[in-house]
Amino acid sequence: MSKDSKKNSLSYSLIRPISNEKWQPISIPLVSIIISFIAAAIVILVIGKNPLQAFYNLFQGAGILPKPTYAGYKSMLTDFLSLLNAMTPLVFASLAVAVAFKAGLFNIGVSGQMLVSGFLATIIVGYSGLDAVMAKPLVLVIGIVAGGLMGGLVGWLKYRFNINEVVSTIMLNYIAQYVISFFIQMYYIDPVSRQSRYIAEASRLTLVNVEIANLKMDIPLGFILAIIIAILIKFLMDKTVVGFEIKAIGSNRNAAKYAGINVGGNTVLAMVLSGGLAGLAGVTYYLGYFSSIQPKVLSSIGFDSIAVSLLGNSHPIGVIFSSFLISVIDQGNTYMSSQAGIRQEISSVIIGLILLFSACGEYLKHKVSRVKEKEVERKESEA
Amino acid sequence: MSDYIVEMKHITKRFPGIVANDDVSIGIKKGEIFALLGENGAGKSTLMSILGGMYEPDEGEIYIRGEKVQISSPNHAARLNIGMVHQHFKLVSDYTITENIVLGVEPIKKLAGLFPYVDIRNANRKIEELSKSFGLEVDPTKKIADLTVSMQQRVEILKVLYREAEILIFDEPTAVLTPQEIEFLLGIIEGLRDGGKTIILITHKLEEIKKVADRCAVLNKGKLVDVLDVKKTSVNLMAQLMVGREVNFKSEKTPPQLKEEVLKVEHLTVKNEDGFEVVKDVSFTIRSGEIFAIAGVADNGQVEIADAIAGLTKVSSGKILLQGKDITNERIRKRTEAGISYIPEDRQTFGLVLDFDLSTNLALKQYYREPFSKKGILNKEEFEQFGSKMIDKYDIRSGQGIKTQVRSMSGGNQQKAIIAREIELKSPLMIFVQPTRGVDIGAIENIHKMMIHERDQGKAILLVSLELEEIMNVADTIGVIYNGQLQKVASSDTLTTNEVGEYMMGAKHE
Repeated sequence: MSKDSKKNSLSYSLIRPISNEKWQPISIPLVSIIISFIAAAIVILVIGKNPLQAFYNLFQGAGILPKPTYAGYKSMLTDFLSLLNAMTPLVFASLAVAVAFKAGLFNIGVSGQMLVSGFLATIIVGYSGLDAVMAKPLVLVIGIVAGGLMGGLVGWLKYRFNINEVVSTIMLNYIAQYVISFFIQMYYIDPVSRQSRYIAEASRLTLVNVEIANLKMDIPLGFILAIIIAILIKFLMDKTVVGFEIKAIGSNRNAAKYAGINVGGNTVLAMVLSGGLAGLAGVTYYLGYFSSIQPKVLSSIGFDSIAVSLLGNSHPIGVIFSSFLISVIDQGNTYMSSQAGIRQEISSVIIGLILLFSACGEYLKHKVSRVKEKEVERKESEA
Repeated sequence: MSDYIVEMKHITKRFPGIVANDDVSIGIKKGEIFALLGENGAGKSTLMSILGGMYEPDEGEIYIRGEKVQISSPNHAARLNIGMVHQHFKLVSDYTITENIVLGVEPIKKLAGLFPYVDIRNANRKIEELSKSFGLEVDPTKKIADLTVSMQQRVEILKVLYREAEILIFDEPTAVLTPQEIEFLLGIIEGLRDGGKTIILITHKLEEIKKVADRCAVLNKGKLVDVLDVKKTSVNLMAQLMVGREVNFKSEKTPPQLKEEVLKVEHLTVKNEDGFEVVKDVSFTIRSGEIFAIAGVADNGQVEIADAIAGLTKVSSGKILLQGKDITNERIRKRTEAGISYIPEDRQTFGLVLDFDLSTNLALKQYYREPFSKKGILNKEEFEQFGSKMIDKYDIRSGQGIKTQVRSMSGGNQQKAIIAREIELKSPLMIFVQPTRGVDIGAIENIHKMMIHERDQGKAILLVSLELEEIMNVADTIGVIYNGQLQKVASSDTLTTNEVGEYMMGAKHE
């Protein structure tokens, strides 16, 4: 056996775990994550710290692993619940990106859609003094409707005037950001916090400081909804005529038109769905995780969700797992930095690395099929 | 050592899943026209891409002028004086003829010995001389966008001559030309040979080979079948060797049984995106049991007529009636349901969703109605059953059955899938646009049989084709289009190939 073919068979055994195409949607993101953690470990080693210790602290901080000591009313459970609380808007936002992506559209306007729906829900319900039973469902409805309308506008602009959705969403982001900033500064400002006034607890989608069994925990009601919606979206995409048409226009607009599918209508519909999901992200963020809006700032969730959606293969269930992972790192980093003495920025580096490697998924897939071909050739030539 | 200018010995080239060339050895003599004959997928293009430096062979050797070479790139091939005239022109339409020809080998001069610039004036003169000496007169300052297809082809030929090619490879050069233009091109090819050039002609048209080629290599499924002396071999034998069995050139067909009118097109006018009239005041009718063919050179409005009937293009004036019902402004789906099947020209862009699997593509026009779905919920089992049935019935070959991604299927099988889907709609009107383009002879025969079978079932069939032979072969009525206008509509029995060719050129009209 020549040296070259030895090398080939070595790389073949290396890629064997991800060579099964059936499992690639799961195995390739997993491998991307492992590679990025290895890369992050190297970074931590270079700054002279123990990477295993750091990762352990990271998971402790996120509430996945127990910390040695807890402050009063706190435990691993409370940490875990705040993880879910932070994760909820990210799941919705990533679903929003994923749905648009299936239709071949790039929704960069998730942040703007979040802000608009969050703002409208805040001023309509948040300051209204309605009962919780009325207020909470109403917040959700306003979120869906406001986000959906804004997304629908983008879809309509695309279909009617052929305006690229990337351009229109970016512009709408700016418009939303500054118009809402204006209204907050003029009418809804809290002079102390320099943010919008806090909303009534009744309208908040996260139950804060609930005392159960001598623990004070935040219960994110939106999280359960996020899981349900993810499953519904999966069903919609895989099993229904609507999903079929959205996927068809996403894969090949011309063929979809030829097959008699209403391309314009489905473009608008996909953007309404995407915007509606972004709206849910907005209300669970501004009226759940937070309870006020900082003027002139767009949430970074809207942009992170693009990468999170890619990491989850734009698959509704995959998106839950990728959101979970990113949230763990995001939540755990404070504890990691205080315990392991690693600056918080490092955790941003890790997230960056994960997102970078997840974007390389297609390359990995390509590489795997190349190595597989070579292996087949090698076997043939040996036989 | 030998009298061969090009020798390819034991060439083997594998692609995943197939062996494109299997131990092929050919030798080409200086100053001859050597034809490569074979069906699609026989490996002719691969073999010539190896010679042109686009691929490297897995096994085998190449000798040029007796010297062993490894052709690593198209540039390397050009240095060995090998030039390829591509089937799909590689020209910049906003550049002049000269600019296109010198692209990549621009003659650089220096202004005041310092600032480099392209010496276009000199190049213009050189190209004019070159074009005259080979009988390929062109005006070098004209833009490509203003040229006809056959003139563009001349530019392609001049491009390789300018690079001093001695060995010219023509890849299916006649596919886009009218009969008259084909005559002219074949004359040029003979002229080039007489001028001492060596010509390799890739084609699947037998009569062209018979006309100009000296020798002919027949490939079948990647293997060299035989090298024939064209003068001593009959066309039938060549065809038989190519396909591997006997071929019927003339489709068997009974006289048409015309019944009621199915499609009536009245004064149809269609404008393109620039507002230019590409179809002008076209009227015709197709009756049940009739194959109506529109003959014409590419881009004369025939595809737009088909698109307008199917609803993919807007009608700017005129009427389209299907079984007496006005469908001029109906949605595409309404038309499909009213009874139109459409096999589009561009099967990969329009006919199929390449990333979907075969069963899904087979159901692409029926997925939304029972039994494929109920109340908006898809019935995957029905997709699969229907798909399996179609695969058996129409002999669609694919790697993983109904689960195969259509992208990975061969062009011929993709076409079969589309035809299967459209026939199964059981529409009274069927539109076939270029149904046999890029499909091999055996499959062409099959597609023609299916068309005639559908006709005999009482369907009205509209055929749009650039292949005159195909039209003469299957059509009952021929409408010749030139510049968006129907020049002539007549029964196919009353027209000869040459007459149709003249109408196609606009040289003759009523």
